Amino acid sequence: METSALALLKKPWVLITLLVLFCLPFTTSNIHFHHVLIMFMLFATLSQAWNVIGGFAGQVSFGHATFFGIGAYAALVLLKRFDLSPWVGMLIGGGVAVIVALLIGYPVFRLKGHYFAISTFAVAEIAERLFANWDFVEGAIGLPAPVLPEGLVNFMWYKTKMPYFYIAFILFVAVLLLAYKINRSRLGFYLRAIKQSHEAAEGLGIDTSKYKVMAMMISAFLTAICGSFYAQYILFIDPPSVLSLDISIKMVLITVLGGAGTVIGPILGAAILIPLSEYSRILLGGTGKGMDLIVFGALILFISVYQPQGLVGFLRKTGKS
Amino acid sequence: MKKQGYFSVFALVMVLFLGTVLAEAQDVIRIGSIYPLTGAIASSGLRSKHAIETAIDVINNKYDFDIPFARTQGIPNLKGAKLQVIWGDSQASPEIGKTEAERLITQEKVPLLLGAYQSSVSKSASFVAERFKIPFVCAESSSAALTERGLKYFFRIAPTDAEDSIAFFDFLDQMKAKGKKVERVAIVYENTEFGVHARGEATKQAEKRGYKIVADVPYTFKSTDVKSEVLKIKAAKPDVILQASLLGDMMLFAKTFKEQKVEFMANLAYCGGYHDPSFVQNMKKDAEFYMGQCTFSPDFITKKPVLAKINEMYKKRSGVDFDGVTIEGFTSVLVIADAFNRAQSTDPEKVVQALRATDLKTPTLPGDGVKFNEQGQNIKIISHISQVLNGQYRVVWPGEMAATDLVWPFKPWDKR
Amino acid sequence: MDIEILLQILISGLLMGLIFALIAVGLTLIWGVMDILNFAHGEFLMLAMFFSFWMFSLWAIDPLWSLPVTVALLFAIGVGTYYFIIKKVLNAPGLTALLATFGLSILIKNLAQFFWTPDFRQVQGAILGDKTLSIFNLNVSLPELIAACGSALITYLVYYLIFRTKTGRAIRAAALDRDTALLMGINIDRVYALTFGLGGACVGVAGALLMNFYYVFPSVGSLFGILAFVTVALGGFGNITGAFYAGILIGVVETAGGVFVSPVFKYTIVFAMYLVIISIRPKGLFGW
Repeated sequence: METSALALLKKPWVLITLLVLFCLPFTTSNIHFHHVLIMFMLFATLSQAWNVIGGFAGQVSFGHATFFGIGAYAALVLLKRFDLSPWVGMLIGGGVAVIVALLIGYPVFRLKGHYFAISTFAVAEIAERLFANWDFVEGAIGLPAPVLPEGLVNFMWYKTKMPYFYIAFILFVAVLLLAYKINRSRLGFYLRAIKQSHEAAEGLGIDTSKYKVMAMMISAFLTAICGSFYAQYILFIDPPSVLSLDISIKMVLITVLGGAGTVIGPILGAAILIPLSEYSRILLGGTGKGMDLIVFGALILFISVYQPQGLVGFLRKTGKS
Repeated sequence: MKKQGYFSVFALVMVLFLGTVLAEAQDVIRIGSIYPLTGAIASSGLRSKHAIETAIDVINNKYDFDIPFARTQGIPNLKGAKLQVIWGDSQASPEIGKTEAERLITQEKVPLLLGAYQSSVSKSASFVAERFKIPFVCAESSSAALTERGLKYFFRIAPTDAEDSIAFFDFLDQMKAKGKKVERVAIVYENTEFGVHARGEATKQAEKRGYKIVADVPYTFKSTDVKSEVLKIKAAKPDVILQASLLGDMMLFAKTFKEQKVEFMANLAYCGGYHDPSFVQNMKKDAEFYMGQCTFSPDFITKKPVLAKINEMYKKRSGVDFDGVTIEGFTSVLVIADAFNRAQSTDPEKVVQALRATDLKTPTLPGDGVKFNEQGQNIKIISHISQVLNGQYRVVWPGEMAATDLVWPFKPWDKR
Repeated sequence: MDIEILLQILISGLLMGLIFALIAVGLTLIWGVMDILNFAHGEFLMLAMFFSFWMFSLWAIDPLWSLPVTVALLFAIGVGTYYFIIKKVLNAPGLTALLATFGLSILIKNLAQFFWTPDFRQVQGAILGDKTLSIFNLNVSLPELIAACGSALITYLVYYLIFRTKTGRAIRAAALDRDTALLMGINIDRVYALTFGLGGACVGVAGALLMNFYYVFPSVGSLFGILAFVTVALGGFGNITGAFYAGILIGVVETAGGVFVSPVFKYTIVFAMYLVIISIRPKGLFGW
């Protein structure tokens, strides 16, 4: 039952796609294109992280931005206040996120259905307000990254985005393999059982709380890692940019559109939303007048009604898988 | 696979895009400018835009009055090259402001940025400029922290909230000396760079001079309801309220103060919503007697007739008279033109050096000129205090500059 | 602290709370009857507010007079949402219905932003306007008072409808046991459509009343939406009286928390209170 994660790479179409993705930035020196690729990979990874708890386990969390924010703040705050390398900050952020997931997980997972979803909203809002009023992290003012020399140690580059691309690529592949492995492992099996029917799973003797919290912890860790990356990429964070509902929602939207519970779902979803977002921003200015979200909302609506499995469902129908 | 096709198309589109961007006209100097043109404070952002456009008009065309660069066309030392602004919309968000700064620098390849109204946006956008070694001219943001970061490419025209706080408390000290009841101070401020820093400076001065801070009330920018905040202030029974709010919140507070019949001797506003003429336009009689920091008022026009001319040009575009914020925007464009002129180049490094050496005489600001210290702060500007009287902003302090007597205390709501 | 201020807090909290209650009542009705959490509820409110605003702005119709129109429009939107979307996802696995209304909320919110810009809008010069009443030295804003009274009235009407009329019985039956209700000859489809329409109508009233003293902008639905969810969860799924009391509780806690702790945490305190209560009583204060 347990498959090696690397088995995924043995499939030719996966290898080819990854290779092409890796080569894409070299086709042009346009920085914005690189940016779009990096954002795509970041959000695909982020949504994959959400997928572990939201898709595999069916526990729809609307508060994942909390973990994203923890990762982002850990990286920059520790850098600014203690001169700690953001890589260390990233790991610490991941650790904190796991602890938070554990602490919130047990009580919140006792709630059923909609009560659970609403609780995730509540947790996220509380987190955002707390950070916005916490002087240590500069509160609502926001935290710009200190202006330090470029390089791997400081995890920041200004003149080119390529190092970010490589790191994002590694993250993307790593999390992809991890998700694949989880999906095919016993944990994945249990999560699917829980998603299908909570009561039946309990009846089978599965410790639902334990596995839900485990999935949440993994999800939280990965989400925080993405948050740290984001902080080091954007070099300025404030509560609205890393702890807001918008980010939580984006994670959900991308995964569901692509196909929650599948490994390729988040990737498909991100491949559509991110270019849509970025290019509508260029064309229409600022936030692109929300054009990307209009399309997305409509797509989600459409998908929920006609193809709840997401884009993956469509692909399956047409024979590709 | 689906994905690949998608990306190839986009790659092609971007390469084409790149081509169009590279074509640049030589007789036009483009500068980037970031302001909140849409969103919560669009009204204020658009006014700054109009002020800047007025300045561009004055510089690029020939006008016969005593404003720097009015009588020439364009930048004289650059063969009359005209200034052009490429606009970026910050939407009142520091994150978007930052992205716009990056876009203007990397895609539009501007050699200089101007912005951004809000201290929070100026802060994040100028960090970007610093990284790319592009000069950032900040016209009107007030947080003193902006020029305390040790940045080498940042320049600010407006007075800081540190100076404003000193002005406020000098004024309060004077009122105290005249026997007025001024002891209890309440500070209400938006939870952003602007508000938090203003509050810090206010607290510093209050403690230094022996005033009691009876209420410290932060609130979330872009509030929809300030009942709790106002009740908290009312419960503290302050003599004076120091307010750091932008337009929307300022109006909301004014409305709620009236509704809850909060009584106080004076409300002193930091550079923000109070200054936008929309405040008086919308609140009408309810705006009377509010006071605030002031670097411009229509009273100045009577003292310097040349201001009447540019005021008219500005009024044609925006429908209202200049105010401190917008005239700082206007002046900053003059400063930029002057820098390009002395640098005789659009090379960012040369322009920055020229900016550092600025010593521009201009009648548009109190202090009559602009000169930057090592941190990039304009040391020639002076703050006054104005008050809304009969629907007009009148300079009421300091005594020597006052155009009319101030009204103290703030008339209680039922006595108007 | 003055007793006056304390009373002021109580009154202000109560007034706002009644409005939260009305918004929540519509939501809890839908949840109770169809087990669907209408994520777009906040956006329905936003639409109601905007319709009121535009009718005033374009045709100078005061929000008080246009209220019936707004209510009718929102009722129609509710019914329409049921027939075109909800009906199709009723039998789908758990996540789907949630996500359908979720997608709808994103769509409505961003369409509103696209067409109407994110600027804050206000109705100025309405009949109720800025008038304040002074009752026993307490300052009560007239539009807020009217909104609160209106909310209480409508909540009572809904309660009456559900518990004292034949239609209400049909709705309750459908809520209790759908299949049996079907067997008893109740047109479930119509009941569901009516329920969704009612939910919309409630929010229509709330929106029209709110417009007298609140700003409207495309994202206004988000905050009210989340507060509505919390209110409903706190009150217990499907429980109208529960939602009513929960709404008032939240209104008072929000205002009091804002004054006694800090205005920036006023909603945080509400959410924290929710989490605490829900961990002690996982089905809400009055849930079963």
